[in-house]
Amino acid sequence: MSRRRIGLALAAASFAWGFASSVAHATDISFWTWRQEDKAAYNELFGDFTKANPDIHVKFESFPDENYPTIVSTALAGSKGGDVIHTHAYGWLEQFVKAGYFEPLDMATVPSLANQPADALVSGTYRADKKVYSLPFASQTLGLFINKDVFAKAGLTPPTTWDEFITVSKALKEKGIYPLANGMGTSWFNEMFVAIFTNPFLGQDFVGDLTSGKTTFKDPRYVAALGKLLELRPYMPDGFEGIDYETAGQLFLSGKAAMLAGGSFDIATYRSQNPAINMDFVAPPMAKAGDTPQATKFFDGGYAVNSKSANKEAALKLVNWMGTKEFGDKFSALLGNISPIKGVVIKDELLSHVAKLNETAMPHINVVYFRFEKPTGSELLQGDITKMMSGSITPDQLAADLTDGLAKWYKPFQGK
Amino acid sequence: MRDRGETIRNGAIQLVLAVNAVIMIYPLFVMVTSSFKTNAEIFSSPLSLPTHFSTANLEKVWTETNFVRYLANSVGITAASVALILLFSTLAGYAIARYRFRLSSLVLMFFLSGMTVPLKLAIIPLFIQLDTLGLVDSYLGLVLVYVAMGIPSAVFIMTGFLRTLPRELEESARMDGASEARIMWSIMLPLARPALVIVAIQNAVPIWNDFFFPLVLITSDNLKTLPQGLTVFVGELTTDWGVLFTGLTLAALPITLLYIVLSKQFISGITQGAVK
Amino acid sequence: MTAGWRHTERPFPWRRSLWIAALLTPALVVMVLFVLWPLLSAFRLAFYEFSGLRPSGFIGLENFRQVLFEKPYSDWTYNAFKHNVIAFLALMVFENGTAFLIAFALLKALPGHRVHQVIVFMPVVLSAVIVGFLWKLFLHPLFGLVNQLLGLVGIAAIPWLGSENTALGSILFANIWHWLGFPTLVLLAGMQRISKDVLEAARLDGAGDYALMTKIVWPLIAPSVTIVTILTFIGSFNWFEIPYVMAGLTGSPGGSTDVLGLYFYRTAFGSTTTGIQDFGQGSALAVLMFIFVAGVTAIALRYLRRREIEQ
Repeated sequence: MSRRRIGLALAAASFAWGFASSVAHATDISFWTWRQEDKAAYNELFGDFTKANPDIHVKFESFPDENYPTIVSTALAGSKGGDVIHTHAYGWLEQFVKAGYFEPLDMATVPSLANQPADALVSGTYRADKKVYSLPFASQTLGLFINKDVFAKAGLTPPTTWDEFITVSKALKEKGIYPLANGMGTSWFNEMFVAIFTNPFLGQDFVGDLTSGKTTFKDPRYVAALGKLLELRPYMPDGFEGIDYETAGQLFLSGKAAMLAGGSFDIATYRSQNPAINMDFVAPPMAKAGDTPQATKFFDGGYAVNSKSANKEAALKLVNWMGTKEFGDKFSALLGNISPIKGVVIKDELLSHVAKLNETAMPHINVVYFRFEKPTGSELLQGDITKMMSGSITPDQLAADLTDGLAKWYKPFQGK
Repeated sequence: MRDRGETIRNGAIQLVLAVNAVIMIYPLFVMVTSSFKTNAEIFSSPLSLPTHFSTANLEKVWTETNFVRYLANSVGITAASVALILLFSTLAGYAIARYRFRLSSLVLMFFLSGMTVPLKLAIIPLFIQLDTLGLVDSYLGLVLVYVAMGIPSAVFIMTGFLRTLPRELEESARMDGASEARIMWSIMLPLARPALVIVAIQNAVPIWNDFFFPLVLITSDNLKTLPQGLTVFVGELTTDWGVLFTGLTLAALPITLLYIVLSKQFISGITQGAVK
Repeated sequence: MTAGWRHTERPFPWRRSLWIAALLTPALVVMVLFVLWPLLSAFRLAFYEFSGLRPSGFIGLENFRQVLFEKPYSDWTYNAFKHNVIAFLALMVFENGTAFLIAFALLKALPGHRVHQVIVFMPVVLSAVIVGFLWKLFLHPLFGLVNQLLGLVGIAAIPWLGSENTALGSILFANIWHWLGFPTLVLLAGMQRISKDVLEAARLDGAGDYALMTKIVWPLIAPSVTIVTILTFIGSFNWFEIPYVMAGLTGSPGGSTDVLGLYFYRTAFGSTTTGIQDFGQGSALAVLMFIFVAGVTAIALRYLRRREIEQ
């Protein structure tokens, strides 16, 4: 009796479900991303898209950062996955392109490619066939967050040079404030931490020498810059080895710490966590007064179309729209990320600061140049940097490990 | 004299057990009490009891996260997997234990060898296999993997148990002309209930707690299990410790309560195989 | 199957063969599809090069050569392997040693021993994800319970999970807390099987608790010790969840908590910002781990069983 009733209910439910789906939208496509915290913003953007294209609805699906590559690669290997996929740039993208999982984008299908500057397009281009596979979405800037209220209360001015940084830090520490919020507990951020503080000592020339094969990471300039990082240790929180990037953010937002090496991608998050925060985003300390301020920049990733998508046309339409100024303006306003799209207007004062820093910024060397093959510069550096900061290896050893590891596949380093 | 020494020794033993009990229980106690605290309270006075009984964290978990859905998924997936393991392994165990046929020992060996295989290491081809069957990112795919993992030891236990049942019952039923299916279903299996409980618990606990297979095989948020959902949850709320403790407490609650009620069965189910 | 008739006690009708086949089929199909076939494929894939995420060509033993002999992969392999070995030894001494003591204490069956059994086993039923996150919060350098408690007695904050010196130990501690009840109750069951007469006789001969423990109980629970040792070994070399939750995919800091499980996962699936996926190398690692664990287990079982028989 009761079993029969359940059966009837199931039949009714499946009928209702079938009915409901038959009146659903003409095309439903999905967007996959690791940016869980951006859900509201993307849903608003996709709402705009659907207004212009009423027959296409976009579903936002996000995954934990750390599992994202696993999930994407397993799904794509099985000819599944979102129709539009948020990708990281450079080497990360390349392995997927190599396997044929993404659709090449060209001016015919995605005319908005024309709105992208050349260096941005490089981040989404496969080196072997020179085709673009991922439409760049943001230019990220790494630098130093300043809690202006903390500085004002302490009667200090934010530092611009390394020497000022040390002096100011000593004064802050005496007042019981952590000068620098960062710790070494989050390996992906450690790599950014290194880039932020070493780049002003390395300069554009070093990047040129490195990429042209004139020098390696064993270069005395690189070793000396790494040595500078060791001087930061007294000004980081107690037990800094175990402080992760989230905790560092909390120390900064709560005013327990005055400065935080961080990324412009977190501006929106910090503002939502503490709307009262009075902060600035500046270039990291320069080697000496009069240098050009040197923040670090890289293109984070882009939007790619799954080559196995059943709705390729709709997916391409969406990606094309994500390359328009209309999208870029709202994207920058909602997420506090700087869109690479030409002509995007940035109204926010802090963000326009960041955009200015971006103009003179140095590339994030490892991300841009050394993630194409195994072992990547990132995994080598991330493995060694905590050891260096805890004193169990020297900057020389780190530089040697990095160079020798990369020499496996990076020809200019071989035999050096 | 001897009694005095005995008392001291017993006192020492009780002390060891009491210290151990504190180490085991205190972390769980702090987890539960912290779930009623605000973030500020946890950071400023982590050791004190909550000043008032706030359910704000609970509301946040309930309304702002997919927690309830994860919980329901875990219940469904565990129940379905255990049911299929019981069914398949009882049938197979019955065939091996109650009939003599030529390949019997070979079949048993095949199942036993499955006990030694860490299926985690075959995750890459397993994924491809499930995909050719269209079962990636589905309840059924995950359930089948769990069933495959559970069958070897379940067959082992069921075979061993069913062998101990007396032949006479079966023979006399057969004399009366009962069919093989009827003998199995109405006469033999009801006797196997204790073994079924052991097998059910032995499989339910690791399946309920598993993290690795959903991590790779399930992608849709709506299909995620509790341990997997917990990592999403922690990723989204890293800095809100009150809510994190609430989530951990809620995740631990169902199985802990069940364990307290059925501790004897849990202990013998989980240590089954290690205890002869 | 018809040939089987001769071996049975009575004529074996074809209907019964069919019946037996029907009973076995569901379990066999699932096993073949989801255990046997994937496992064989895992061995095959280890001999292929992968371009992106698909096999692109047979390369023989190249993947094995890389993970075993080519730097930096070989360094990473041995670094992870070393931590698995440390984990095994530490768990044998600290987890199983403590378990033996507690089991012995429980053997006396003093008032309250049943409650203590339930308590010591309680964390065992929890998911490693819950245990890992819980201890990660407790071990936080600034706000964690452990440092706050230590602060009460004037000990300065220790970056438990952040320092290379303490990270692996901290994770092992969480693991011991999680699993202690398991060996405890397995060993207790072993002890309870020793006949009361033997214990009584020893007592009458004047053996104290210590002598009883070392001379009588320890040798007589050899079968339980064998099982616990083997399970600890398999567990140590398939260790994944707690390190993943507490130290992340890269085994931070600086690979000081990296274990083979993490290294395999990372090699096969990559992580967001480090590493490129390599299913071939990953499969090679999986095959090596499988052979190592299965091989050592087989040899150890032989050796330990012999000890049992000699007893």
